[in-house]
Amino acid sequence: MTHYANSKGGRHYAAEYRDNENSVPAYLPALIFVGFIFTMAIWFLFNPKLDYSSSEKRNLQQFPETSVNNITSGKFGKEFETYFADHFPARNMWVGANAYASLLEGNNGAKDVYNCKYGYLINKPVSKDNEIKNNIDAIVDFKNLDAVKNTPMSVMLAPSTGYVCDDVLPSIHNEYKDDKYFPEITSTLSQNGISFVDLRDTFKSAYKAGSQLYYRTDHHWTTRGAYTAYTRFCSSLGITPAKESVFNIEHYGGFYGTTYSTSGFWLTQPDDIEVWNNKSNTADNLHMKITEGTETKDYDSMFFYNHLEEDDKYPVFIDGNHAYTEITNTKAEKGTLLVIKDSFSHSIAPFLAESYKKVILIDMRYFKTENVSAVVQREKPDQLLVLYGIDNLANDTDLVWLQ
Amino acid sequence: MVFSSLVFLFAYLPITLLIYYIVPRKGRNLFLFFINLVFYGWGEPMLVFLMLFNVLFNYIGGWLVDKYRQDAKKKKLFLVLTCILDIGILAVFKYTGMITDTLNMLPFLNIPNLHISLPIGISFYTFQTMSYVIDVYRDDAPVSKSFINFGTYLALFPQLIAGPIVRYRDVADQMINRRETLAQFTKGVKIFCIGLGKKVLIANQMGIITKALFETTGVEPHGILGTWFGIAAYTFQIYFDFSGYSDMACGLGNMLGFEFLKNFNYPYISKSITEFWRRWHISLSTWFKEYVYIPLGGNRKGVKRQIINLLIVWGLTGLWHGAAYNFIFWGLFYGLLLILEKFVLKKFLDKLPSVLQHVYTLFIVLIGWTLFYFTDVNQLFAALSDMFNFSKGIISDNTLNLFLSNLPVLIVAGIASTPLGACVYNRFKHVKFMWVAETLFVAAVLFLSTASLVDQSYNPFLYFRF
Repeated sequence: MTHYANSKGGRHYAAEYRDNENSVPAYLPALIFVGFIFTMAIWFLFNPKLDYSSSEKRNLQQFPETSVNNITSGKFGKEFETYFADHFPARNMWVGANAYASLLEGNNGAKDVYNCKYGYLINKPVSKDNEIKNNIDAIVDFKNLDAVKNTPMSVMLAPSTGYVCDDVLPSIHNEYKDDKYFPEITSTLSQNGISFVDLRDTFKSAYKAGSQLYYRTDHHWTTRGAYTAYTRFCSSLGITPAKESVFNIEHYGGFYGTTYSTSGFWLTQPDDIEVWNNKSNTADNLHMKITEGTETKDYDSMFFYNHLEEDDKYPVFIDGNHAYTEITNTKAEKGTLLVIKDSFSHSIAPFLAESYKKVILIDMRYFKTENVSAVVQREKPDQLLVLYGIDNLANDTDLVWLQ
Repeated sequence: MVFSSLVFLFAYLPITLLIYYIVPRKGRNLFLFFINLVFYGWGEPMLVFLMLFNVLFNYIGGWLVDKYRQDAKKKKLFLVLTCILDIGILAVFKYTGMITDTLNMLPFLNIPNLHISLPIGISFYTFQTMSYVIDVYRDDAPVSKSFINFGTYLALFPQLIAGPIVRYRDVADQMINRRETLAQFTKGVKIFCIGLGKKVLIANQMGIITKALFETTGVEPHGILGTWFGIAAYTFQIYFDFSGYSDMACGLGNMLGFEFLKNFNYPYISKSITEFWRRWHISLSTWFKEYVYIPLGGNRKGVKRQIINLLIVWGLTGLWHGAAYNFIFWGLFYGLLLILEKFVLKKFLDKLPSVLQHVYTLFIVLIGWTLFYFTDVNQLFAALSDMFNFSKGIISDNTLNLFLSNLPVLIVAGIASTPLGACVYNRFKHVKFMWVAETLFVAAVLFLSTASLVDQSYNPFLYFRF
């Protein structure tokens, strides 16, 4: 009974102990490891190799060229690593798993996007080292040009999402410094005869009253946000804005925006995107022209419903980013408005076109054919507007070329 | 190629393991020889020729030393020639830039910069080859009869680019006779996963903190605690990066039937700097002790000579870590401290409560990593002044946020720097269902590391260019 009382029993015990160490389950870690690396390797071989990633919005690395030169220079090895990572099995699943794992590890987000309450994914505040001052100086210099100085100019900036929707932010987050930047910008501009349309209070109170002014999964303002900014802009110039009731509000679901695709929080619910369509606008009174380089195309609607088929539905408004866009509305009251803008203007442009006979939108990122002052001389606008999101203005390096 | 990459884990490693275990035992070294060169030449294929040249002349050097083992003069001549060639290659590739920069400080000189890029792992494998010829010379190891076996040893991919520095005598026997077993393979998998987790899940995260604090321009001053936090993050980063890499090397070695000696032994729990260097990068300290300190006379020629010997060894240790003066300062800083401890401080230190001994050691280690991290002298002084200066505040808001949002990882890093985990494991490893915990651990590390590797192109490897 007491089998460890004699030496034989002792050996028996040792053998049993060794069995335990060498039993099949003891090798399970090795089995899991080998199984995993071989499964992924074989899966990679059979994984279809796509050309383009829609969630990353870029072309994927193709199998590198196997020339002698490519191999000896080491280029083959480097490109092969990119190729391997780009076509890795279940790539998006891994990215998402990593995003959620970082939340479990105590982080407040992933890839500089905060994971916030109510499914908001909000970009971190801009860094202290930013382009705001350079860009404001460029606007001031532009305003002082002879060709421009007699045309009234306004600057309007969309506040940071995190500044307006501060109640949804994670408890540990960096400070959004809109309250520092906006007054600084106001004082620089007012010294140079440029009026600044400060949206902070308007947005804060509208948000508190329950309006959704920003998308949860995208860095842009919603159509409601754009409309709020439009009414504030009109009141700053003493114009009566178009009433909300003239629009037929259409809702489209399934919008996954930029902060969604950068962060990898795939379980976030999509946004609705709203198109505020004034049905009284028809081809009789409304036209839109898009100029890209030397090519110009005509349209009779400001809404491009084909983009609603894509994940990123924001280009439904005026077909997204273009160098030079012109909207004419013969039914509007005011004259010509020239907007120097980023993508925040896309959703506000249809509203501006309710008030101005001609709205010209220039995107400094793509407009390289002539100086904007030459456009001002030719088109003689009644009003100039510089319209950016504060985050974009902080990172933009093209506005400094404004002349 | 580095271990913590998708290509290594899911292409190179499965192919290598598959063929290695299909090939009959006799052919395994030949296969390893070939696959090592693929690993080494992956990023810069022309380096394969440098490696082959190294293998060839050291093989011949060892053969000549052995051939003339009766003729003391010739034996010494061949040893010296081989070592000069080894050190010469290292010097040309690693220190040319530093030497020309220094000479150019002279007003009448203007040597053009040659921009020689450092071959990966050269500092490690140069020391390995030198250990071979010296061991053969001293009769501490048998001469390698087979060119393939010797080449396989020198370029063995697990320890090729970041150590441990395996002395030939420690593996001479394994090169010829080794029996791969499933138990050893399993052990290797577990150690490899510990290393992978250290590198990908802890060191990389710490790297993000260091980068945010010290490599981002135009941020507000971090404050005194904020700067210490940054240095602490780097202290964790370099340990988990380097020891993680050594663990992966040992684990891969086990998977192929090798046993390498331990390279790190919880250095941050040391109670003195002397102890720290017995626990940090053990294979390097051993190498310097065996092949520099003792041949110089060690402590056998009086105190004065011993101090000089220690300073030589530590100046060289610093220089080995990088071709810049801050590394020499860093080495001498440790050399002086070790001398001070040996002759003066030890008596006092031993009487201190152990908490204070730990505080003292960690303080020195953190200062040491500050010297190590900032290769630019101006940045170094700026950082050192921030570390002892309350005028820039205690800790900035953004730095505090960075600290708080990484607190769980920092706590894990702190615990993983101590033997606590190993103690708990050893206590329970014979429990019947331990394999459940082990398997879950391996699976979790693999899953999270793969997710992290797919996610982040951010994967700097600190010891890659040493």
